[in-house]
Parts: sequence; C-alpha cells; structure tokens
Amino acid sequence: MFFPGSLATTLKIECIVEQTYGPWWQSLHRTMLRGILGKTFRLVGYTIQYACIAHCAFEYVGGVVMCSGPSMEPTIQNSDIVCAENLSRHFYGIQRGDIVIAKSPSDPKSNICKRVIGLEGDKILTSRPSDFFKSHNYVPTGHVWLEGDNLQNSTDSRYYGPVPYGLIRGRIFFKIWPLSDFGFLRDSPNGHRSPGD
Amino acid sequence: MSHLQMLSRIPRPLRTLERGMAQSQGWVTRYFKAFCKGFFVAVPVAVTFLDRVACVARVEGASMQPSLNPGGSQSSDVVLLNHWKVRKFEVQRGDIVSLVSPKNPEQKIIKRVIALEGDIVKTIGHKNRYVKVPRGHIWVEGDHHGHSFDSNSFGPVSLGLLHAHATHILWPPERWQKLESVLPPERLPVQSEKESLHGSP
Repeated sequence: MFFPGSLATTLKIECIVEQTYGPWWQSLHRTMLRGILGKTFRLVGYTIQYACIAHCAFEYVGGVVMCSGPSMEPTIQNSDIVCAENLSRHFYGIQRGDIVIAKSPSDPKSNICKRVIGLEGDKILTSRPSDFFKSHNYVPTGHVWLEGDNLQNSTDSRYYGPVPYGLIRGRIFFKIWPLSDFGFLRDSPNGHRSPGD
Repeated sequence: MSHLQMLSRIPRPLRTLERGMAQSQGWVTRYFKAFCKGFFVAVPVAVTFLDRVACVARVEGASMQPSLNPGGSQSSDVVLLNHWKVRKFEVQRGDIVSLVSPKNPEQKIIKRVIALEGDIVKTIGHKNRYVKVPRGHIWVEGDHHGHSFDSNSFGPVSLGLLHAHATHILWPPERWQKLESVLPPERLPVQSEKESLHGSP
C-alpha cells in the first residue's frame, strides 16, 4: 500500500538528514517533506471524495454509456453514446418498450442493451417466424423478457430465457452521439410481439 | 482615498461594533457552509462504503438453520456482509452469500453456494433430478432443506444477482463467530469442472 511505505521512507530520510547535515538543511528538509506529505494526503482525500460522489451518481442517478454491437439496430448503432438513468430501476418503473441496460446472465462482468418486450405474467411469442406451430410462454414472476431490435442478429431472451429483474442496471432514454441522431429514442420497429397488448 | 485611510477616519467604538455585527452574521453563514461541505463529503463516502465495502444485516427466516438463526424468531442473527470479496464475482463452494431474489427483486435472500458453473448437482425437490449449472450461474441452497426457498425451487441463479458474502455473525454476542465455507459432504456436486481453492477430497 502506498501510505505506510511512504511514511516509513519519510521518517528514515529525516533521520539520515539529521545525522549527516547541519541544522539549516534539517529544517529545510523537514518542511519540504511535511509539505509534500500534506499535499499527498489532501490529494488522496479529494480523490476518494470525488470517487464516492461519482459512484453515488452512477449508481443512483444515471450516466453516459457507449453501446457496442449490432443487436439494437436501427435504434442504436454500434459505438453510439447514450444517456442512461437508474431511477426507474430503483422505483420499479420499467415498462414494456423501454430500452434497458442489464448485466449479462451468462457473464456478470459485461452488460447487455436490449428492449423490454414483456414483464412478469405476460404471454410471449417464443417461436421463430419460420416455425409453423406458434409457441407461447408466460414470463415468470420477478423476470422480464428482453429482445434486441435487430431480431436477425441479437442473442437475447429467445436464446437464454427470461432475465431476472435484479440484473437490470438502468433505462436508456436519450441518445447524444452521433449528433445526426440526437434526441429521444424511437419505439420498437418490430411492432408488438405479445398477443393481447 | 485608500481603503485604509477611510477606515482610520471612522471613530474607534463604531468600528468595533461593526466588526461584531459582521462576525455574528458570518457565524451563521460559516456554519451553514461547513454543514453543507460536511454533508456532501460524508453522505457519498458513507453510501459508497455501505454499497461497495461492507454492511450489516439482520437475518430472518429459518432457511439457514442451524448455521444462522437457530433460535427461530426469538433472536435473529445479525451478520456482516462483505461486498468487497465478491466485487469480481468470485465465490467458492460452501460460501454463505446474500443475493437478490430472482422471484422478487425487492428482497434479498441468504443461502449457501453448493455448486459453481459447470458442476452437475443432484437436486432435492426440483423438477429435474440432475441439473448442470450453466455458465455464469451458481446453485444455492439453504441449510434447512425443505424449509428453504432456494435453487431447488427456482433453478440456478445468475452471478449478476450476487450481493455480498456473509463472513461473520456480529449479534447476539454469544454467537460471535466467523462463518466457515463448509460444504456438507452429502451436497457435494456429482461432477465438478472447476477446482475449489480450499481443495476437495
């Protein structure tokens, strides 16, 4: 760790300085070292303070996110920058049609960005359009059904099943880059996928 | 006329009175400023600490008896929840962990990790007899089988729902102890892909 090591080194240097140099050098070194120590502590203090404020902002209010991947085209393209807010998640206000960021169910360190197609209790069409027999499933309690807008090129709930609500991190509501597409996000281009909507 | 020259023309008692008034107003403003500064430093640091490092929680329910809450509803154990240990989602078999309930996101449940990704578990009361834990998931069970709402009811849980690792019991004082990561031998996975750090027999 940085702290104890630097303190020990400082004290050792002060002892050496006292033994080798005269009183003028001693006082100069002491003030210099104490000044540097003081500045270091203050810098670390400010860093911790701003890191904590940043954590609270990202965790409870929202932040700016860069999305990568083709699964939400044409609504969100690769390398778009969007704004996400976390208040809906904390107040359980996520609705059908919202675009959310969630932790990936198979890899908790990475995030996925999909649209909410169904909430708990909804009946979801889970068969592919090419299937002759349509199969429906109900979304279990505490889960949501996520699908990307680019249905041909998206691994989503059709692949790994309903996603627990606890994995949702925030809701994306505004795009800020590229500037040609600045503004609120469009509705799903795929129409409604759950019957009785 | 300079500022100092102007000041020197004011009679002495009046100058003292003005300085006194300025000081009392400044006292209120200074207190308010100090309060705001302290508030905006203390609250984020405390919230970040409780979210990222460690917090304390009371255990309710009988699903982890006899390890936690052996006295039932008379005396609930208070455990220390360590967030820092699970920041990289690294858990071992036998750890007691708290996680967001997959059936009710407003609730946190505390269970023991029985199997990691890739293991095959023999279930108790699940619709399938043997379950292979998918990638990025864990199998959790309460110690009190039959009285526990765990993976035997809702299947493997995603690691993203992991909240904290319960390391110590803090209250009541006669139950002060470090919670050991022991896996009951009858619940060892049938087949395991990952080697446990504690070494398996």
